[in-house]
Amino acid sequence: MIDYLIRRLVGTIPVLLAVSLFVFLFVHLLPGDPARLVAGPDATPQDIAAVRADMGLDRPLVVQYLRYLGQTVQFQLGRSIKTHQTVAELIGERFMPTLLLTVFAMVWSVIGGVAVGVLSGVKRGRWQDQLAMVLAISGISFPGFWLGLLLIDLFSVRLGWLPTGGYESWQSFVLPAFTLGTGVAAVMARFTRSAFVEITAEDYVRTARAKGVPERLVVWKHTLRNALIPVITLTGLQFGFLLGGAIVVETVFAWPGLGRLLVDSVSYRDYPVIQAEILLFSFEFVLINLIVDLLYAVVNPEIRLR
Amino acid sequence: MLHSVRMLLVALLLAAPGAAYGAKDLVVGVPATLTGLDPADLNDNLSQSAARLMFEGLYNLDEHMKLQPQLAESYEATEDAKEFTFHLRKGITFHDGTPFNAQAVKFSFDRAGNPDNHLKRQSLYVMIDHTDVVDDYTVRMVLKYPFGAFVNDVAHPGALIMSPKSIQEYGKEVTRHPSGTGPYTFVSWSADTLKMKKNEHYWKQGQPKIDTITYRTVPENGARIAMLQAGEAQFIYPVPPELIASLQNSPTVTVFNEPSILGRYVYLNNMRKPFNDPRVRLALNYAIDKQAFIKVVFNGHADPIDSPAPQLLPFYEKQGFYAYDPAKAKALLAEAGYPNGFESTLTGGADTLVQRGMQFIQQQLAAVGIKINVEPLEAGVLTAKMFNVKGPEDATIVMLYGGWSSSTGDADWGLRPILYTKSFPPVLSNLAWYSNPVTDAAIEAGLATVDLTKRAAAYAKVQEQAWKDAPWIFLSVDHSLAAYSKKLHGAFMRPDQQFYLRTDASLD
Repeated sequence: MIDYLIRRLVGTIPVLLAVSLFVFLFVHLLPGDPARLVAGPDATPQDIAAVRADMGLDRPLVVQYLRYLGQTVQFQLGRSIKTHQTVAELIGERFMPTLLLTVFAMVWSVIGGVAVGVLSGVKRGRWQDQLAMVLAISGISFPGFWLGLLLIDLFSVRLGWLPTGGYESWQSFVLPAFTLGTGVAAVMARFTRSAFVEITAEDYVRTARAKGVPERLVVWKHTLRNALIPVITLTGLQFGFLLGGAIVVETVFAWPGLGRLLVDSVSYRDYPVIQAEILLFSFEFVLINLIVDLLYAVVNPEIRLR
Repeated sequence: MLHSVRMLLVALLLAAPGAAYGAKDLVVGVPATLTGLDPADLNDNLSQSAARLMFEGLYNLDEHMKLQPQLAESYEATEDAKEFTFHLRKGITFHDGTPFNAQAVKFSFDRAGNPDNHLKRQSLYVMIDHTDVVDDYTVRMVLKYPFGAFVNDVAHPGALIMSPKSIQEYGKEVTRHPSGTGPYTFVSWSADTLKMKKNEHYWKQGQPKIDTITYRTVPENGARIAMLQAGEAQFIYPVPPELIASLQNSPTVTVFNEPSILGRYVYLNNMRKPFNDPRVRLALNYAIDKQAFIKVVFNGHADPIDSPAPQLLPFYEKQGFYAYDPAKAKALLAEAGYPNGFESTLTGGADTLVQRGMQFIQQQLAAVGIKINVEPLEAGVLTAKMFNVKGPEDATIVMLYGGWSSSTGDADWGLRPILYTKSFPPVLSNLAWYSNPVTDAAIEAGLATVDLTKRAAAYAKVQEQAWKDAPWIFLSVDHSLAAYSKKLHGAFMRPDQQFYLRTDASLD
């Protein structure tokens, strides 16, 4: 187990190296000159040259990459071009809001989505199933942007129960977490239902029923446990995506998360911040994949980690 | 990790919304994040407006952009506009307790004007040769060359006076530790939220009357309006023109809808065919229905422009109006040798209002036989395309949907950057590559003196000549659009589209 963990973690190093090179090249090949953007519209050419030298952008690309790599290995992520804040501080400030929002959104949407999916699977073809699937399709198709504004209009402007946005108190989590989770819950429900239906048709489930195992046990032990494997995979993926910051929801609810930081940084060509964020996202994905693999073993002991 | 998550949750649950009972808390909903709070290093309206609440300048532009003494009581200038002496107010201290005096002014100016410090507003100080401390409360700036608009530069947010101690203590980090003499002091700034509180020792008796000010970044237009309607904010900007109507009948909200000094133009490349022919440029001006443009693009919340300078710019002189006349436009095009029109590309930004404007122009010009390809570009790409040039020969933009607003509030900065031959990109923003010796001479004459009559005559000439030459398509003047709670008094959008709070502003 420990061996496996170490091997997996060491295996992430080449992945992160490749990502760092790719991101570096991508960012530096973006059209648009950060020195010009930093110096402002009424800067003189000398001003811009000075800013460029200050930022180290006048050196060859290879030198810049090696310098960046060297610093990154020592966890020196540099300073934001836009605000002069250290990148570590800047990302630190934005990470918690994104993590907490992701956790809240995932908790309700996974529980809700799986419950609805199981209900649908059990009551296949009946009205409960149809209602649940109509809801799921609506959840997937409803744009988060629009849903968010409708919720703000109802709960903040008309009823005055919840704040319109911001990252202030527990009340400010409710609307964004609900909005963000809606799409995930809908996908979860559909996914659980189809996994459930598929497993129900398996021989061992039929055998269990034929043996006279009580229906409840068939559903919970034989079917659901196995149906959970793809659901866990999906949960991991969704979690990873959301940790990258939900740009739309963060924008609508003025949430100070990583998604908006990334968009801001790209439009300002804030190279150090873009690079650090993408590297962080890649690392998060690798880590989540590892956790998902470990969870498989927990749910189904037949899966061995090697 | 888990521990810190738990702690944070507890903290969030305990954090009671709202502050002390009866406190006057002003929340301003703004569209973007701040870039910093070091006045000498800012070039965006939003951060500058925040800096103005904590810092003050020797002079200030009030809500109508009129020059008012602030930290100085008065000034004298030599007739040749080369020496400016300021008499400072006494008994003022910075937020960090150090005294405000002539030494502090010199320190602030020397720092901001030193090119080695790489500060973004250094261009405001290039004309200063040196600054002298005459006595504790008198300071004199000696310029390298005449600069008649100097007091406007002194009133610019880039020339706000900072505590020398804060700069010595924090260096470049002073952008997160601002210390000025303004009515509000810095409390905190993280991610989306800037907090300030009342300066208890402010030099104006009984002011300010508001206890705390919070800037909150709310990027989405609809969400910002909801914030105001729900009472979470007392002032929000901008309000997009199409949403003004939804707020106009609200019993609790006042709409702010006043002309700005942002002129909208289409810069035509005056050195390229076909725009090197003045008849073509005139034709384009006649081909656009400006009233319809304003109705379609700004829902009517803008004014037609009738001079190269917007109406509220000092020394503005009305020139006339290129009334909508497609027949005349066609005749002029035929005369210039384009009876069947031509094809060209209109470049501009990517936001909704800009795209709407460009599409409108495309349709109007199609009616006189000109086929326009609209090229909306992301801001970084657009800036590169505008300024990554060495001279007119490598310009790749032929028509640019743009605008200009004078950040010093003076006519010089309203006209020189966009009409002067020495302002060709990449130096400044003469994006039409317009060059006329008559205009150049008048621009120089306007700077050569502090005599207001002479300056007025010079800028009248600039406007007259540029209007005649029509280097651009003259479109409109934007309105500043904002909204605020009826409980708030003394808050404005200044004509330069900067949020402006009077020091005696109050909340009911």
